[in-house]
Amino acid sequence: MMLQNTRGGLVVWFSMLLGLLFQLMPVPEVVDASRPDWLLLIMIYWAMALPHRYNILTAWVLGTVLDVLLGSYLGIRSLTFSLVIYVIVLNYQKLRNFSIWQQALIIAFLLLLYHLLIYWMQFVIFRSEFQVQQLLPVLSGTVIWPWIYWLLRRLRRRYKVK
Amino acid sequence: MKPIFVRGVSNQFRLTLAVILSVILMLANDRLEPVRQSLASLLSPIQYLANVPGQLLDWSSEAVATRDMLRKQNQALLRQQLLMSERLQRYEHLRQENERLRALLGSPVHMDSRKMVTEVMEVASDPFHQYVVINHGAHDGVFVGQPVVDAQGIVGQVVQVSELTARVLLLSDPEQGVPVRITRNDVRLIANGTGEVDEIEVRYVPKSTDIKVGDLLVTSGLGNRFPEGYPVARVISITNDDGQSYLKVMAQPMAALDRIRYLLLIWPEQQPTPTTDSSPPEVKDATNQGETP
Repeated sequence: MMLQNTRGGLVVWFSMLLGLLFQLMPVPEVVDASRPDWLLLIMIYWAMALPHRYNILTAWVLGTVLDVLLGSYLGIRSLTFSLVIYVIVLNYQKLRNFSIWQQALIIAFLLLLYHLLIYWMQFVIFRSEFQVQQLLPVLSGTVIWPWIYWLLRRLRRRYKVK
Repeated sequence: MKPIFVRGVSNQFRLTLAVILSVILMLANDRLEPVRQSLASLLSPIQYLANVPGQLLDWSSEAVATRDMLRKQNQALLRQQLLMSERLQRYEHLRQENERLRALLGSPVHMDSRKMVTEVMEVASDPFHQYVVINHGAHDGVFVGQPVVDAQGIVGQVVQVSELTARVLLLSDPEQGVPVRITRNDVRLIANGTGEVDEIEVRYVPKSTDIKVGDLLVTSGLGNRFPEGYPVARVISITNDDGQSYLKVMAQPMAALDRIRYLLLIWPEQQPTPTTDSSPPEVKDATNQGETP
């Protein structure tokens, strides 16, 4: 039981590390603007599947790590990650029973919230300008969500992560 | 085994804690710079790992380069080197003459500064800023505020340092301003990034200023951030709008900011260099050759 738990934890953290790498990896300029929020999507999955183990504070840590690695203002992604995961953790039972398309719709809404919040904080601090391209990750994230969901669920069942 | 009711602390409590911690981070951002530096040092292996796919691509494109391509490239480089060395001979003569004249005038003689070649790592950065990550950090003596140039001119300055990597804020970022002067008539101005990679704006230019399209802007050395005399940009457009009290002057950066690959870190003369002996030998050799050709 103990062994299985630590192995399960390893699987989860490995998937998060992978998400972090996808977030930082070099991609062609064209694709870069619509790079989905891998780390957030993976965190959303685990918060939905195991809300008692991976929840708001895990999200806070991941958000801070992402802030440091992207070199942006500390605390921006910590806060937005926590808020998004809070919504997930409150509604995880409903979300699990939704069909995949309903889920994707909710995810789209949350991603929109995430990006608008980030933009708003950037605006308050740096007076950044708003461009519609900044919302491209919402689209790509929504499209990619069913696949992430399917992949991580297979991973979770295969390794019996609890 | 999952409990029906959440044990321990409630979600609301967790959220409150997370929000408070985030707000503390945001408010104390400047004071937390050492924390960020050590965290970034701890996490820099992830950056190196994320850089691997890009490096693999580079490596494979080099590996499949044909003999013919290499021969052509070699020829072009040899030609370029010949041109450069000819220019260097003239430069050396001028430098000695300049030093003699300065000595006659009693002005301090300009010293050569320490330089180091660094490579841009292909990792993503905050989309709201124009950053590049380089593969040298505090370990090699890189410091916050250090000027970074490439073969064409000023690229930007270092804004964050970790042990093994550093982040460079490009000239084109709206937060970046560079004190410049026009080479033609020594008029001092300030160039500011616009957020566009190939355009910077020269601000607060009075309408009577003698400035023309094609003027070269070089660093003026004022502000003690960027060393004097490095090319920054060339003026591409001047708009005189009657409603405005200043000219609207746009310039194009000399460095191709969207294609930079190898950069040069500069240690200005007055700056104490903490680890002088840690620079790679080949670079030291290169700079020494510059002194005595």
